[in-house]
Amino acid sequence: MRVPLLHRAAATEAFLGAEAVAGRSLWQDARTRFFRNKAAVAGLVVLIFVFLFAFFGQFLAQWSNEEVDWGMLGSISEMGGPSIANGHYFGVDELGRDLYARTVQGTRISLMVGVVGALISVIVGTIWGATAGYLGGRIDGAMMRVVDILMAIPYMFVLILLLVVFGRSILMLFVGIGLISWLDMARIARGQTLSIKNKEFIEAAIAIGVPTATIIRRHIVPNLLGVVIVYSTLLVPTMIIFESFISFLGLGVQEPNTSLGALISAGANQMRYGVPWQLGFPLFFFVITLFAFFFVGDGLRDALDPKDR
Amino acid sequence: MKTSIFALSTVGLLLTSAASFAAGTHPETGEALADDQTFSYRLLDDVPTLDPQLIEDVSGSHVARQLFEGLLNQNAPGDNIPGVATEWEASEGNTVWTFKLRENAKWSNGDPVTAHDFVYAWQRAADPATASPYAWYMEITEIVNAADIVAGNAAPDTLGVEAVDDYTLKVTLNNPLPYFPSMTTHATLFPTHKGTIEAHGDDWTRPGNLVGNGAYVLESRSLGEGFTMVKNDMYWDAENTIITEINGVIVNDSAQALTRYEAGEYDLLEPVPAGQFPRLQQERPDEAHSVPRLCSYYYAINVSDSGPEALKDERVREALSYAVDRDVIVDQILKGGQTAAYSFTHIATAGFEAPEIDYGTWSQAERDAKAKELIEAARADGVPVDEMGLDILYNTSDQHKQIATLISQMWKQKLGVEAGLENQEWATYLETRSQQDFDVARAAWCADYNEASTFLDLMTTTHGSNDGKYSNAEVDQLMKASKTSDDPQPNYTRVEEIIADEMGMIPIYHYANTFLLDASLKGFPYENAENNWYVKEFYRVAD
Amino acid sequence: MGTLPGGLETEKARRLLSYTLRRVLVAIPTLLILIVFSFLLMEAAPGSPFATERGVPPEVLANLEAKYGLDEPLWKRMAIYVWSVVTQFDFGPSFKFKDRTVNDIIAQGFPVTLTYGFWSFVVAVIVGGTLGILAAVRHNTWLDYLAVGVSVGAQVLPNFVMAPILVIVFTLWLGWLPGGGWQGGQWQFVIMPVIALSTSYMASIARLTRSSMLEVLNSNFIRTARAKGLPMRRVILVHALRPALLPVISYLGPAFVGMITGSVVVDVFFSTGGIGQFFVNSALSRDYSMIMGITILIGALTILFNLVVDILYAWIDPKIRY
Repeated sequence: MRVPLLHRAAATEAFLGAEAVAGRSLWQDARTRFFRNKAAVAGLVVLIFVFLFAFFGQFLAQWSNEEVDWGMLGSISEMGGPSIANGHYFGVDELGRDLYARTVQGTRISLMVGVVGALISVIVGTIWGATAGYLGGRIDGAMMRVVDILMAIPYMFVLILLLVVFGRSILMLFVGIGLISWLDMARIARGQTLSIKNKEFIEAAIAIGVPTATIIRRHIVPNLLGVVIVYSTLLVPTMIIFESFISFLGLGVQEPNTSLGALISAGANQMRYGVPWQLGFPLFFFVITLFAFFFVGDGLRDALDPKDR
Repeated sequence: MKTSIFALSTVGLLLTSAASFAAGTHPETGEALADDQTFSYRLLDDVPTLDPQLIEDVSGSHVARQLFEGLLNQNAPGDNIPGVATEWEASEGNTVWTFKLRENAKWSNGDPVTAHDFVYAWQRAADPATASPYAWYMEITEIVNAADIVAGNAAPDTLGVEAVDDYTLKVTLNNPLPYFPSMTTHATLFPTHKGTIEAHGDDWTRPGNLVGNGAYVLESRSLGEGFTMVKNDMYWDAENTIITEINGVIVNDSAQALTRYEAGEYDLLEPVPAGQFPRLQQERPDEAHSVPRLCSYYYAINVSDSGPEALKDERVREALSYAVDRDVIVDQILKGGQTAAYSFTHIATAGFEAPEIDYGTWSQAERDAKAKELIEAARADGVPVDEMGLDILYNTSDQHKQIATLISQMWKQKLGVEAGLENQEWATYLETRSQQDFDVARAAWCADYNEASTFLDLMTTTHGSNDGKYSNAEVDQLMKASKTSDDPQPNYTRVEEIIADEMGMIPIYHYANTFLLDASLKGFPYENAENNWYVKEFYRVAD
Repeated sequence: MGTLPGGLETEKARRLLSYTLRRVLVAIPTLLILIVFSFLLMEAAPGSPFATERGVPPEVLANLEAKYGLDEPLWKRMAIYVWSVVTQFDFGPSFKFKDRTVNDIIAQGFPVTLTYGFWSFVVAVIVGGTLGILAAVRHNTWLDYLAVGVSVGAQVLPNFVMAPILVIVFTLWLGWLPGGGWQGGQWQFVIMPVIALSTSYMASIARLTRSSMLEVLNSNFIRTARAKGLPMRRVILVHALRPALLPVISYLGPAFVGMITGSVVVDVFFSTGGIGQFFVNSALSRDYSMIMGITILIGALTILFNLVVDILYAWIDPKIRY
């Protein structure tokens, strides 16, 4: 599920290197510029830490995310705080369940929602936008009208309806988020395609009779990658925030699974009842994750945007 | 059975003292009254309607009780006292009831309240055109033709209620119902003003339009925000009504509601957030209260064909029930004066003697040991315990989630039975439950009236809310017999024993109402088990 | 721009008008699709608006369904619904609030939502815009870092955490502001909803303004202007501001719609009586007519706002193609 951004960029770089001579220096430049940006590098380090935490943190846990520590029940505000001795590094939640294990698992779900949402948006949006932009004319008009129509739908409301109608499940959450997240991406990809479309190498490809689908796949899409990566890095935190809102409404993932949004919402409810760790730890991971994504996204944009030299 | 209270003379007596409470003391107790006599309380959600005949929720009934007055009211302990009616008597073996109405009762526009207003309102409640969601209440009053009218088989004016003259109301019942007068304290049977409803249609409950006969009139209402009621000067007992204004404040979020109570924004907060009662009781001993509430929390077990095979085995059901540590739930999670339940009927139900249930007397260790023994025996006999894929169904709510989580862990750790959690939001949950599309479902049952049969009827085969489809011929027969029995208690005890024996459901706890009430507010009916309060009885003392 | 030849100006206006018309024409099928889609979605939803824990006897249920027209076949109900919405702007009676119509409830709740939505919007744009410009002008100074830090922080703090904190601080501790309610929109009641609603948008706008301002400040024409010795203040206000605000403007449409959606949280925490809370509650209690009414209203607003923003964008940006 993980999409290490640099890894992808590197793969793209190799791909572009074989494709066009100019590619290599562009991506190398970008990398240099990215690593010169302290905030972005810090964000990347934090992000790696959060991913490691989310996917390997459970190996350090002494409790599962659903086990109840019966001894804690009834006196959680006195005894349930963070403690190395009893294995509850982050304390316990209102039911005596280990908050460390729950935060690890919640972070994982939140990251998955964010990354999957962004991934759907990248795949569907890029293909849709690139196709519309490349083909142009009537087809372009029709495809973009579809996007216009979908954009007018109050998606938050529709998502609430979907979750109410089909019941809560992580799949439904992905479907709902996926349905709406690709629209902006399609517009961006189309705009970018329009500007690439008339370049010589495309015309050359057309002249030697390369099929349209191949041109889109081999020539248009790779050239959109820069902008797509930047945008999707900024989309991930949006998706995570979105999920937290859904969890607040009580329409998030099923217990005993949880997400950062659900943990924060529960913690916020207990804010004044002497259990600050229940809000503090999940909120901390939520905030640093989003911070990191924003800074990495900004860094990538600055690095990949040739205008900003 | 004849009851008569000399209300008029009491009024006369109190009139002489009216002058004194204007000077700031309570007419009966002599306590110094505060200058500001407003009462405000928090509501979880806005009331769907103020139309008494359409009201179906508890908070709506609270509002209606201030805006309207039925034939009878309840006093603090929950006994009947005169409302619009001053005297009532039964004849022909409790099948005909005659009510004498007071002649000084007035609507808020000055019209007299007459027996015709009750006839109009009751016909309206049964009329299919009104489509009251509480029309079933008319059916259980046993008033002649009520059921036929609701079903559309008889005209509304054939209802067995008649205005003998302006101040005499005669009600005819199909079957003897000794507790019929108590039923008139419910909003469905409150009178409504015909002229107003005909003039304004559905808009008649708007501020300015609404004409009521209660101690208060609606001043303003803002949906989702709150409402204000002010004292009704036309009310027959207005001289003795001390609180001058009522504010209902809607706060959805329970933690937020507590913060705002602590900031002094309202006088009554009910219920307090789960688990916070002990702390609040310590911090605010004069304000935190816990009283029994006539509801029982239980887990329904699906024993119908669509339920898992293993749950049809009595031992499995018993093991599941024994393994539930109710003390953990009431003492460590709810912490609000709820009581662990091993039998269904709420122990505070009037005239009900809680039966001694065997497993209720054991220690939890004994129950756990027995549960393990039973589940192992079932496994040994080839009952598919581990293949049933048990799911606990509950509706979205922190508290239900907590209890379901704990119970699933108890089952897993003690019995090795894996139970998943199935959280559905309210409407879906109700449908799932009523279609037996579940294994074990969280459920609660609240008393319609203060008598044990309101609970135990649920376990009869044909009851509409018997969603687990538990069925036992002896239970059906015992409950049927109890209706005409002079002393139904032995039947009730036997039914509870059968249910516990066969474990037709898993009782978990009996409710308590936890609330915070400002210490300067007096006159609140703490003992009223049905939680019916009348603001006209309240007053605020000076600090 | 300003001094375009008259012919071009009219040409531009004409094209803008035809563009607007085209967009309005697309809006009609969009709304119809939205109506049909949400109608069918509600139809597919399990559960009935009249269900209670107690169970409703069949004869009572039949009366209720007859009263609300649920006994008619699906196509007929949909046709009646669309017809009364289109011709009379009538969304029907609410299933939950039995003495109110959906029109009543929207008429009461929507102005509330619109009021705090509007003020949140104003605050977000002014504060966010100023913060972004300051950060860009003082690029790489402590002011820039502070502005970026604050705005990212504001963006990532969920408003369902911020709202209770606001009430604890301003109502419980300081006693300055009422903890909720609306009272016809008196200022004391508007402040906390606006803070809770505007911060994350303020932060987005600040970040957007900062980055586009930076881009503009680095462009050749600004460098030229500054090389000519124009004062910085003048360069920013006269030359840089307008191009820098372009990306911000395209964000305003989604932002405004987001604020209306965010009203769910505000309504839950501050009991303002806005429509957000009605939407969630009606979705949960299957109040069909109310869900439809609010969905259509928000849909229409979304379309309207995107349109207004696009036209604004086209009007400001001379390069835009329609």
